[in-house]
Amino acid sequence: MDFGFSINRPRAVDLDKNDLSVSRKALMEMPEWQACIGCGGCTATCTAGNLTQFNFRKVHTLVRRGDYQGAYEEMNKCMLCGKCRLVCPRGINTRGVVMMIKRLLSEY
Amino acid sequence: MENIGTEILHYYDHFVVPFTVGVIVLFTVVIYKYVRWFVKLPGADKHLVRKGLFTRSTLGACVEVVSESLLHRKIFKVNPKLGYMHMSLAFGWFLLIAVGWVEASMHLTGIVPLHAHVFYKFFADPNADYGVSGQVLANVMDLLLLFVLSGVSLAWFKRMRSRAMGMKRATKHTAGDRIALFALWFIFPVRLLAESATSGLKGMESFLTGNIGHWMVSVFGVYNIEQFSGVMWWTYSVLLAVFFVSMPFSRYMHIFTEIPLIFLRRYRLRSTERHKTYDHFQIEACSRCGICIDPCQLQADAGITNVQSVYFLRDRRYHKLSGAVAENCFMCGRCETKCPVGIELNTLRLNSRTKMFDVPADGRYAYVRGMDTSKGEGKVGFFAGCMTLLNPKTLRAMEAIFKAAGEDVWWADKDGGVCCGRPLKLAGEVSAAAKMMEFNKSLFEKHNITTLVTSCPICLRVFREEYDLKGIEILHHSQYILRLMEQGRLSMEESDGRLFTYHDPCELGRGSGIYDEPRAVINAVGRLAEVSQNREEAFCCGSGLANISIDDRGQNKISAALADRFAETGAEEVVTACPLCKKAIARNTPLPVADIAEIVSARLGGRQQA
Amino acid sequence: MTKKVIIIGGGPAGMQTAASLLDLGIKPVIIEKSDRIGGKLNDWHQLFPTFTPAHEVLAKLKGSMKDARVITGTAVESIGKDGVSLSDGSTMEADAVVVASGFNLFRAELKEELGYTIYDNVYTTVDIEHMLNDGKVAMKDGRTPQRIAFLHCVGSRDEKVNQRHCSKVCCVTGVKQAMELKAMFPQSEVYNFYMDIRMFGPGYEEMYRRAQEEFNIHFVRGRISEASETIDRRVQIKAEDTLIGRPLKMTVDMLILIVGMTAGESNRRFAETKGVELQPSGFVAPADSFTLNTCSGVPNIFYAGTVTAPKNLGESINEGVAAAQQVARYLNRR
Repeated sequence: MDFGFSINRPRAVDLDKNDLSVSRKALMEMPEWQACIGCGGCTATCTAGNLTQFNFRKVHTLVRRGDYQGAYEEMNKCMLCGKCRLVCPRGINTRGVVMMIKRLLSEY
Repeated sequence: MENIGTEILHYYDHFVVPFTVGVIVLFTVVIYKYVRWFVKLPGADKHLVRKGLFTRSTLGACVEVVSESLLHRKIFKVNPKLGYMHMSLAFGWFLLIAVGWVEASMHLTGIVPLHAHVFYKFFADPNADYGVSGQVLANVMDLLLLFVLSGVSLAWFKRMRSRAMGMKRATKHTAGDRIALFALWFIFPVRLLAESATSGLKGMESFLTGNIGHWMVSVFGVYNIEQFSGVMWWTYSVLLAVFFVSMPFSRYMHIFTEIPLIFLRRYRLRSTERHKTYDHFQIEACSRCGICIDPCQLQADAGITNVQSVYFLRDRRYHKLSGAVAENCFMCGRCETKCPVGIELNTLRLNSRTKMFDVPADGRYAYVRGMDTSKGEGKVGFFAGCMTLLNPKTLRAMEAIFKAAGEDVWWADKDGGVCCGRPLKLAGEVSAAAKMMEFNKSLFEKHNITTLVTSCPICLRVFREEYDLKGIEILHHSQYILRLMEQGRLSMEESDGRLFTYHDPCELGRGSGIYDEPRAVINAVGRLAEVSQNREEAFCCGSGLANISIDDRGQNKISAALADRFAETGAEEVVTACPLCKKAIARNTPLPVADIAEIVSARLGGRQQA
Repeated sequence: MTKKVIIIGGGPAGMQTAASLLDLGIKPVIIEKSDRIGGKLNDWHQLFPTFTPAHEVLAKLKGSMKDARVITGTAVESIGKDGVSLSDGSTMEADAVVVASGFNLFRAELKEELGYTIYDNVYTTVDIEHMLNDGKVAMKDGRTPQRIAFLHCVGSRDEKVNQRHCSKVCCVTGVKQAMELKAMFPQSEVYNFYMDIRMFGPGYEEMYRRAQEEFNIHFVRGRISEASETIDRRVQIKAEDTLIGRPLKMTVDMLILIVGMTAGESNRRFAETKGVELQPSGFVAPADSFTLNTCSGVPNIFYAGTVTAPKNLGESINEGVAAAQQVARYLNRR
């Protein structure tokens, strides 16, 4: 398992304790990101997800919930090929989401 | 010593001080910049310069300096009015200096300091008779001044009404630019007044300054004009000083910088994916003429007005470049083909991104190691690329074509492969891209292919430019299909005369120079009706991977703006040769949209099935 | 003086408008561009959620409007001030016009990655209704399907084909067909891939539950991103099972795309020439979406049915009644 960010983590997403500041900032920059309805199309088509356990939908949703740990390393598995953007029914700039998360969360 | 001192003082007045200081500052800064940039060039680039110095490249550069830096031939080609404006200012001023130098050298005696050439009329001896040559020179100088003034008035007019100059949008300028521009606007009108006043007072004859001067003196009287002339010469000198001092820090740095750029470019120096000091020569050679704004579809269709190359270069030059500006560009290359200075706008945009976003990629993508999902065996390899996998009609068509031609094919990534690396590279992550490239390269080598065909222009470009695949010929599928046709390996039904129109993908056309092959294929299966702006001028579909920040709405606006252009041709079907273009066009065009391979496979003799 | 009312479109909404106008003593004329009335109801097999045969409802509608004049095979080219111009070149006077021109079905081939018209065994819900009407549902080569997958929201809620709206009735259609196919092939496995299941109508939710409990239909929350064809002409699909958070692959005998409703292609021209408002979805906007659902804003033009939005059959028929009422009120006031 190279799912580094799932090891030793509490089960609950604790919105009382999670630091939502980064996610809030990111959503201000890219409001369309909030439009995700979690259909999983991106993850299904993902070139990297086809080869490893990278799950774009899950990682970016965790980031929206203020759960940043390991997100940077996960997003680094992305090849930025853009297939996810072509299938996203909500028209989200998914590659932009990847790049933004990497930029904002390289410290976490 | 005493003599020299008196002679210089003979040509001295306090008003020349600002000018002299300005010239000293200007040349100190300019020379400092150039020397610094040149010294810091990579050794390989310096070697290129040494190699090219005593060749025809130098001669060619000299010719180009005259035709571009002085005459502005390229701007003329894009926009004659704008070309005239730039030429009258640049070439006109140059001639004023050159002819002025001749005039001063001929007529002034003794040691003539620099400022005495520039302010010749002030220092000229009114009692000397210079004969016919003197009269001719005086009138030529007037004529040149008039020439420059015509350019200045066009510049004024352009600021007020850019549309009248054939430009939809003019550049928004920085404060430094405005100061320099203000000075430039007034330098020549003030010079006209100063020279006229002096001519009037000294009784010197010439058709412009002479006549205006006599008229001024006759109307306002000698005393008033004497006062006025003093003020005007001071103003003229101060304006020159302001312009010279602001020049190296404003867009007017381009006046000088284009010259070393032309030489270095002739010696084959190029910008690369990583920054080097050669970039500065390119960046500071931008005159911010704004010709790049109009062709930009982000501006024309999506209402994004702060990211165009002129603003990108400006922001980068003043270290104010934001990631958002660097990223918001399709790198479609429409502006680059129009740039009169020939700046490598795409490469500079790219290496800005590299500088901002590249991170070491050690340990990344370990998961691809040893992976091989390829299928089949053959000397010809087919690389669909990630995007073609979402266009199964193209894949099907290629299967049918390979089968019809009896070609054994090695399918590199039919069941999903590793990305070609270009998308990462376009985002500035060149180290990560190198990992992808390394992987695919060894995969191609492992399977001993001799030809690599891809239906994706994005992949094609990185294969051709970066992969260094020895012994493997790299072809876009349109080239490959045409070759099969020419070799008689595809038995085709006779052309049914269907009317197609063709969309040039940016990465295939401007990016890779492939314009003719897809057209030849179309003409072999039907007829082709061209859209009004095609080939080098073709529009971007709005889906280019190089733009990392544009949202879906913006992309859609750009794609929607294309729809009418296809309809206008009267074509029954739109053909393109890129999976991304195909999807973007199909989204808004009511006509059927097909990849080039589809229209061929649909007309294979005997209707071969995949 | 008898008042003339023209109804554009002879689908259920237009038919009911005609029936209700007849009840009110007004003689309407239906102008239908195809060669028969009934609209898309002609193609339907059974209706959700009651599994009522579509032809029964159609017969009732036809019966109640049999005294109305019907012109088929003729399209309305434009609506003028006091009448309409027809495709045969003639014009027809009218005191009021009811636009009941309906919707179009989403062209599933636009989602190329799903393989419709490319792979042998990818179908749309409309194809399945035709098969059900013909009494034989089978794979292209005639085999009985053992594994069937339905994909919801094809051409609905999808920015990539510029269809942002929810087509409303596809969820329940997909579940209905899943049950029909399961009833036909009890040995088969049926999977429905969805983003959201929107069971908005009476009895729909109950039907959904029956589909799960009694028909053992599997519901997978995830959108199929792409399909490919295997050597034996089955369809391999890729989705994410989002409730587990892992990619899912499976091979099915039939992939059925539940296609949505798109705005009628004549809407745009109509809106431009008459100056009525068009919604971003391309459906026309009623004068007021609470109290004037069947009014256009132009005094003598009225709407009925799916010209204004995706609707189910009952709602479309009700709008026929409401439109007739508004027409009568308008004619009486004049």
